[in-house]
Amino acid sequence: MQADQGTSQSRLRVVIVGGGTAGWMCAAGLSRLLSPESYDITLIESDDIGTVGVGEATLPHIKMFNDMLGLDEAEFMRETSATIKLGIEFVGWDHPSDRYIHPFGTFGEPWAGVDFQHSWARARLAGLDVGSLQAYSYAVALCHANGFEHPAADMKDIRSTYSYAYHFDAGLYAAFLRRWATARGVRRTEGQIVAVGQATDTGHVDVLTLKSGTQVSGDFFLDCSGFRSLLVGGTMQVGWQDWGRWLPCDRAYALPARRAEPLTPYTRSSAHAGGWIWRIPLQHRTGNGCVFASDFCTEDEARARLLAAVDGDAFGEPKLLRFKAGRRDRAWAGNCVAIGLSSGFLEPLESTSIFLIQAAVVDLANLMPVPGQGVDTRLADEFNRLFEIHYDRTRDFLVLHYIANRREGEALWDYVRTMEIPDSLAAKVELFKSSAVAPDYKLGLFSRDSWLAVLEGQGVLPTGYNRLADAMPLDVLERRLADLRNRISDAAGKVQSHASFIEGYCNARRTGKGAAA
Amino acid sequence: MSGHMDRLVIVGRDAPLWLAASVVAKALAPAGVMVQAIELPSALTVSDVYASHPALEALHNQLRIDETALLRTTGGAFSLGQNFSDATARVPAFLHAFGGYGSAIDGQDFFGFWLKARRYGLNVPLDDFSLTASAARQGRLLIPDDDTERYARSDYGYHLPAAAYAAYLKSVAQTVGVQAEEASSVAIDRDAATGDVKALMLDGGRRIDGDLFFDLDGALSRDTAEWLDWHQYLPFDRVAVARGERFRAIPVYADERASPTGLTGLYPAQAGTYVVHGWASGLCDDNTALGQMAAVAGMPLMDTTVRTIAPGRLANAWVGNCVALGAAACLLAPLHDLDLLALQAGLVELLGRFPATAAFAAERQDYNRVMAGTYDHLRDFQSLHLVLARYGGTFWDKARGVAVSGELRHRIAQFAARGEVAPWEEDTMPVDSWRALFVGHGVAPETYIPAVDRTAPETLKTQFRIMLGFVKDQVLRQPTHDEYLHRNR
Repeated sequence: MQADQGTSQSRLRVVIVGGGTAGWMCAAGLSRLLSPESYDITLIESDDIGTVGVGEATLPHIKMFNDMLGLDEAEFMRETSATIKLGIEFVGWDHPSDRYIHPFGTFGEPWAGVDFQHSWARARLAGLDVGSLQAYSYAVALCHANGFEHPAADMKDIRSTYSYAYHFDAGLYAAFLRRWATARGVRRTEGQIVAVGQATDTGHVDVLTLKSGTQVSGDFFLDCSGFRSLLVGGTMQVGWQDWGRWLPCDRAYALPARRAEPLTPYTRSSAHAGGWIWRIPLQHRTGNGCVFASDFCTEDEARARLLAAVDGDAFGEPKLLRFKAGRRDRAWAGNCVAIGLSSGFLEPLESTSIFLIQAAVVDLANLMPVPGQGVDTRLADEFNRLFEIHYDRTRDFLVLHYIANRREGEALWDYVRTMEIPDSLAAKVELFKSSAVAPDYKLGLFSRDSWLAVLEGQGVLPTGYNRLADAMPLDVLERRLADLRNRISDAAGKVQSHASFIEGYCNARRTGKGAAA
Repeated sequence: MSGHMDRLVIVGRDAPLWLAASVVAKALAPAGVMVQAIELPSALTVSDVYASHPALEALHNQLRIDETALLRTTGGAFSLGQNFSDATARVPAFLHAFGGYGSAIDGQDFFGFWLKARRYGLNVPLDDFSLTASAARQGRLLIPDDDTERYARSDYGYHLPAAAYAAYLKSVAQTVGVQAEEASSVAIDRDAATGDVKALMLDGGRRIDGDLFFDLDGALSRDTAEWLDWHQYLPFDRVAVARGERFRAIPVYADERASPTGLTGLYPAQAGTYVVHGWASGLCDDNTALGQMAAVAGMPLMDTTVRTIAPGRLANAWVGNCVALGAAACLLAPLHDLDLLALQAGLVELLGRFPATAAFAAERQDYNRVMAGTYDHLRDFQSLHLVLARYGGTFWDKARGVAVSGELRHRIAQFAARGEVAPWEEDTMPVDSWRALFVGHGVAPETYIPAVDRTAPETLKTQFRIMLGFVKDQVLRQPTHDEYLHRNR
């Protein structure tokens, strides 16, 4: 029996270093998942240190995070100037003239007891004109129609076969979570950290000194300090695995612009000779950026490409960001856990950074030390095992976008087409080519349908399929495929536009939020 | 495109052969695959029994096997789990029930709440929160309905007299289009260049050509594939089977009794009680072991047969165009009755990537990767039982010192630290089964999931009271095992 539970001395003092998206997601998530009688949470942030804030697009998992906090969706969207994201359109990633959508939805329906793509592959290999997999996704059709409504509840309805994420202003989201978390007991301390104190016996961090001279003591520290990785990369000196050989892009110019019409319910990612350009529509502006590999593209070239691509009046001048793809060897070292950019970085190609934060918060809530007990290295081992799975599987999925391109004669694209890739990815690609089986794992990001979208989109096509798909007579299969395509396009044609959905549901301008950004 | 996989040849004997052939034919005959079974002579005695986990019921449903007819014809019985007891009665018994334990509270898994309540003095065993464990203790069945499903899974397995079950499945195989041939031996015609199997010669005569071969016996695989020996993990190398009279009231679980030199399993069924005894010959000679078996069984035994076993697995279950399945791919210890489960896992993974053509190198590689993990986790489930066991005697002293894989060591550390079961992609055992084993062997986690503390203690108390009341009421509504079997004759 812990008789002293509830007094301030018996609470575990958790100190979060950094107040960007990662810091405030940690603060909000942990204050929701942990008991205030056992945990005392302080967040230190400095108004002098800017946040990177490129993560303006998300994955559908963010909805689970928001639901866990109990956020009202319309209010959250209004407050963060959010729009709907049904997927990503990739332009020119395979061949300069090609485009495809990675939707947040399923492809087709399982027939004959086997995943849809086997039926599709069989029909294709039999020489039938059954089109791209894209034609069998309702979410893709919604993207083409620039439409949105909430998914239907009836699982048999084609309009239930998708989920959705958001485009939002990451700065406004952090501010929204800050209000939420501080209202629920998270203490916010303003200041810049100038010294890190460690216990002499364990080497654990025990006190942070701020510029003002204030000292903040703690038992457990979350390093959300961004690329700086103040505690885990710095104090704990945890090594860095560089993934630049697989993901050579290392810089980006970012430039917001005035909102353009139509308001697309998807992100656009357009390849260029030295990288790619993002376009993220928010309610009050469009986020634009040009990601590039400095080995293959100069800063001037990248800047010029971005300026040429922006569709709307730009706000200000392009801002340069530098980064390196990779991750820490471990995220949890001693009594410090790196979350967010301090733990690793993957280019924002699939909007994974916020998900990786979210996954870390949920895992950490389960594996946190408890008051009165020291750090348990067994639990740290599990956290680090899951951290590796999350990062490495996400990396493989991102690398997939590059390897199968047909942009011949462009140095970056020639390099990534011919480079050696991780064995774990090579095996997945070979399996799909041979059998139409797409990765379908329980742990880590990206479902079978996501892999299907990008494999086919990049021109990786199956030469075989599961024999179970042969059960249906070919003419019956052909009719069912045509029927499915028609059901999808008919239903998508009747949906209201994304812009009118936003207008009716969560218009930010009505409350004035985000108007000045 | 390479040639189509039209002719599938399955070599084996007894229930595994007919189960595999039926499942594959049911799935693939509509797609034009011809399934040819080659039946080797039965290795069964009248004392053999198949004990299953709940997954088998789902497979039976796919094959449209009528449960009532199956149990009537085979003289089988239901099983809600495995009771692990100490023949010397020094270590308390526990049940590894097949159903779930408790219901979620505030969206959080039940187990952490139970750990917390224990710390604060609650003295109610985990079993009391399990519908299946509670029913099993009272000799009742648990037939799931909407209410019980909302509470937790309530699955069951079977004890099926082996020869009768094999015969039953053979008739099922015929109805789903399996072609069957008998043979006392097979010779293999291999492609000299690739090593692939081209055909099998039955008893030196009739030739059976095939595109793909399934080996459930070992005849096609043992000589050509690398075998990983598991004796350092699973020290059993002898198994005896025997049978005794049926119990007057048939228990609805298997009883696994530890004695100083081995483990004796009693499998109650309508046709009799089947007894399986496993031991290590280096620690105990056959006669002593058989004496121990009879003493522990506590009933006169007849038709006793002793066999040698060597637990292990093939390094690669699929080599060339031949896939080893079941005991040919992975031989487990006589513990937890995992054999049919391992066979079933192999079949499910095969059907998930069954090739349309002969260009299947990638499918093969992926299958081997997944099955290696699946088999290793099943082995870990068994070796966990050995390293945690607190029983006395030479066998258990050795068992506690068996090798522990890196994954299992991590799993044990996680449970000890927080009461959680670390997830792995290829682990097929339910989380509740791992927990039942840990808790049953007396492992008390040092902490529980912190989120549990978000729930007010009063809510916790109320929820526990509701759950215990629900379990009690539901179990009392259930028929006894005997009533149910009698009613459904």
